[in-house]
Amino acid sequence: MIRSLCRGQAHRRKDYRKVTRQKKDALFDLAGRVTLLADKARGSPSSLERAAEAEKRKSLRSALALVAAGADADGLERGMSGLLAEADPGSRLELEMVTAGVRGVLAGEHYSIVMRRMAAFLGPEYFDKASAWLSEKARRRRPRIEELVVPGEMPDVVRALAINPRCLELAIRASGRAVSAAALAGCPEESVDLVKRLFDRIGAIALEEDAAYLRTRLSGDEISEAQAAFLEVVGSLEERGEIRLGGEDELGTEETFVAAFTKAILAVGPAAIRAAIKTAEGHLVATAMQGLEPEAHDHILSSLPKKETKRILDAIDEADPLPRRAIVGAGRELAARLIAASSRGAAPSLALESLAAIRDWAVQP
Amino acid sequence: MIHWNADLARRLQCRDEEKKGLAPLIRRLLDLDRIARTEGFQALEPELATIGDPLLSIGLKLVMEGVSEEALEEILATYITVEDRSGWPFLKSCVIVEGLLAVAEADDPALMARKLVAYYGADKATAALEELERDPALLGGGP
Repeated sequence: MIRSLCRGQAHRRKDYRKVTRQKKDALFDLAGRVTLLADKARGSPSSLERAAEAEKRKSLRSALALVAAGADADGLERGMSGLLAEADPGSRLELEMVTAGVRGVLAGEHYSIVMRRMAAFLGPEYFDKASAWLSEKARRRRPRIEELVVPGEMPDVVRALAINPRCLELAIRASGRAVSAAALAGCPEESVDLVKRLFDRIGAIALEEDAAYLRTRLSGDEISEAQAAFLEVVGSLEERGEIRLGGEDELGTEETFVAAFTKAILAVGPAAIRAAIKTAEGHLVATAMQGLEPEAHDHILSSLPKKETKRILDAIDEADPLPRRAIVGAGRELAARLIAASSRGAAPSLALESLAAIRDWAVQP
Repeated sequence: MIHWNADLARRLQCRDEEKKGLAPLIRRLLDLDRIARTEGFQALEPELATIGDPLLSIGLKLVMEGVSEEALEEILATYITVEDRSGWPFLKSCVIVEGLLAVAEADDPALMARKLVAYYGADKATAALEELERDPALLGGGP
């Protein structure tokens, strides 16, 4: 049985169908304001007090005043219920929506969840409007804060699970959102990026910002505990045969391959690079580039016209870290294409020799 | 812990004829769970085009967003509450929410089936579960 329905007031007749579209539109705007407050309050809890003083709308002013006076979630609920008693359906809807939103703010929830909670009161027809609002807000998001790496095996486990994204996803879901975000708070950016790819855009941003927020709220010990809980879930999923941890040696590339491939790329001229990449799939190039040093990345990207650069950068953004075999395989393919493109011009023989060595590179089992 | 509410139970009541709609709904939810478990949650995206029920569509989008189980439950419960329905439409909504929570929690299909058949009522749940278990592809078991 769905607990929220049983705990709540589902049996009370709401009469919310009588609420006009105009009123609901106004409430959506109000939901947007509460959502912005939720975002602001995470970085600065005192902002709620200031907001309470400045707020003109009675429902929100009352809720914020209760919070400013130190009310917890239950206190907020009790305080607001007094206002509900004699209100008309539109005002009741507003009060319930504001209470739910401010509860989310009090709980330190991500603003996207606060918006989702509030928009639900307005009915299914406001879901897409809320998505559009959140996407627009995400476009103007704050830059990341510094990473904090808590020593432990979590980053390695995330990388190993990411070989099969379904395994990583199962581990994240089975651990629960709160534990996952807290565990990721102590991981390098790479781990967060791997997990973000499992969600859609709004979800990915929420996860990244939750991890960044928890990094400022939790102690190292608390983050370690969350990581231990995550690893325990991974262990039990593995025991049940539901996931398989790829070996660490399956990820990344051989140093000798990276050095040779980088040297070969740096010897190729911009024209040949442009010609080879023009017809290559973004995914292939992005995968091959995982086997190159940064200077070779710069050499490739600076050889391309702007539009092509964007295509390749987008593909890099979307690419998962791949097993060594896949990277070497893509490197061999790109080398073959570069040889074909170089042969049409007057490529230095040294470049062709280096590329041929990559094209013929033996893939270790 | 099982929470119960007598008013809610009354609102869930509907005719046996209407409850026949539960079988295809439960099968669809189990199928969505299978897709999520075997292909990943983003593989649910193409399914959205085939879903007519707004609550199921919204719920799947929230699942794909990675909303926590607690928030997912409360958000979907809000949608049901403000719709102010009773009878079959209410029962259907409750089953959809229960199924979505199971999908989000990556529930084992057999466990999910047990949660969903409970909405048939105690007298019919066992028979409904046996019917589902006769289809090994659905519950991921069988020979």
